Amino acid sequence: MKAIETKQLTKMYGSIPVVGGISLVVETGEVFGFLGRNGAGKSTFINMLTGIIRPTSGSFSLLGVNGPNERMKKHIGVMPDYSTLFDSMSAMQHLKFLSSLSGRSVSETECKHVLQLVGLEGVGKKKVSKFSFGMKKKLGIAQAIIHNPSLIFLDEPTSGLDAESALHIHKLIDSLKQQGKTVFMTSHNLDEVEKLCTTIAIMKDGSIVKSGTMDELRSYYRSAITVQLKHGPIPTGEAQKLYSWLESVGTELQKDAALTTITVGSEQKIAEIIRAFTNCHVNIFRVEVNEPSLEEMFLAE
Amino acid sequence: MIAIGKREFIGMFKSVKSIIIIAVLLLTAFYSAKYSEILTAGISLTETEMEDIHTGGLLFLLLLFGQLFVMGLSHDSINRESHERTMRFLVTRTSRPRILLGKFAGAWLFWVVCIVISFLLISIFSLNFNLFIFSQVIALGTFQIAVAMLLSIVIPKPSVTMFLGILIGMLFPIVSFWIVFTGNKWISWLKFGNPYYYLVEDNYLFLVIFGLAGLIMAAAMVIFNRREF
Repeated sequence: MKAIETKQLTKMYGSIPVVGGISLVVETGEVFGFLGRNGAGKSTFINMLTGIIRPTSGSFSLLGVNGPNERMKKHIGVMPDYSTLFDSMSAMQHLKFLSSLSGRSVSETECKHVLQLVGLEGVGKKKVSKFSFGMKKKLGIAQAIIHNPSLIFLDEPTSGLDAESALHIHKLIDSLKQQGKTVFMTSHNLDEVEKLCTTIAIMKDGSIVKSGTMDELRSYYRSAITVQLKHGPIPTGEAQKLYSWLESVGTELQKDAALTTITVGSEQKIAEIIRAFTNCHVNIFRVEVNEPSLEEMFLAE
Repeated sequence: MIAIGKREFIGMFKSVKSIIIIAVLLLTAFYSAKYSEILTAGISLTETEMEDIHTGGLLFLLLLFGQLFVMGLSHDSINRESHERTMRFLVTRTSRPRILLGKFAGAWLFWVVCIVISFLLISIFSLNFNLFIFSQVIALGTFQIAVAMLLSIVIPKPSVTMFLGILIGMLFPIVSFWIVFTGNKWISWLKFGNPYYYLVEDNYLFLVIFGLAGLIMAAAMVIFNRREF
């Protein structure tokens, strides 16, 4: 079953399309990462799916149910991008209240367990007004999973958290994935997305510019593998022949007496380049291969 | 809906404003019932009016200040949640009609409890619980709560609804009495949309007020369904 399916989902503010006709499929059990710069439309997209705002046009279904509707809402958990919690309530009261809204009453033991999962053990009875930013963030995640939803939306779950807390949340997301739950998350932390997500979409100006599994994206961007060779002097008779061949196999060739940098389209070319240098009797001292990181892919868009 | 109503109901008892309003209601009920006989000495009343004299003070208070009291407590019932963005937690978990009805039910139950206690206090002196007047008061309260809910949905800022709530609360009885008793035919027709008109006569026409409240809530629901948070 598809966890999320959107068809030409659009949100206009006046004549400005904040989200411009996004069609997307997220399969059950995926951890889907949504990347994009500030203002790209990520939160608007999540807000439409979760019923916070209404789409201008297009349609979507969550867990096979055309949304948003009450039946579907019981099975989704949402941590909105920026939300103040109910200051007058304790963490425990929060979880009990919000879970009951989703039609599931939870015991104190369950609340304690979830608080422990997000790293908030021992503060269940503390008023939210006395919580730090990080603690509120963690409680925001706790409330999204307290009613055991199948589909969880996390809008920048670790922004503002210290490294240890972020790691805690990473483990939690990983365990949700192991339980077969679908997680749809946005993040600015590209390492986090690379580490946690099975599928990624990059959003720009309200549209998805690239999407796919991490491997698919890598192979797409592998058309830009940079190979740097530190080598000895090239025999005079061979230089012209070698450089013309290099120009034919790659792009962006930078040649120096002892350093050649070339961008190639596939991994297979690396071996060919090394072979070409050795065939020309050039000693190779070091080979550096740089694949684009997610950050570079992201910035490229 | 029950969880939202329960939270609203309990929350209303916690504020200083509500404690003051409850105190004013109860003190008025107590003293008006206790000293109601003084009124009978100065005014000539019918036998039926004599029977209801104990509730007179409370009725007077609710007719004149009821809307103000309701506005004071419920003007920000919905927009406070939107303003503080806690509404996002509610709309992602339950339907908007349930949120609105839950809020309404919580506020309604609060006022029913306050009015029941006031009437019980009066019944100690009058040795009689006037169910008819009690029902009329509940009908008026229902209308007033619906107005407060509508205001809280139409105006997104709690500070604005606080100001408008006070203004409406003070003007509502004045304008209502004027509309109900005016001889101006251009204005007079408005009385059919005013709850006071249905309270003037001692008959079951007051039930229309529940219908008016229903219409206001339906309008509130339409607007609330279009809101974005």
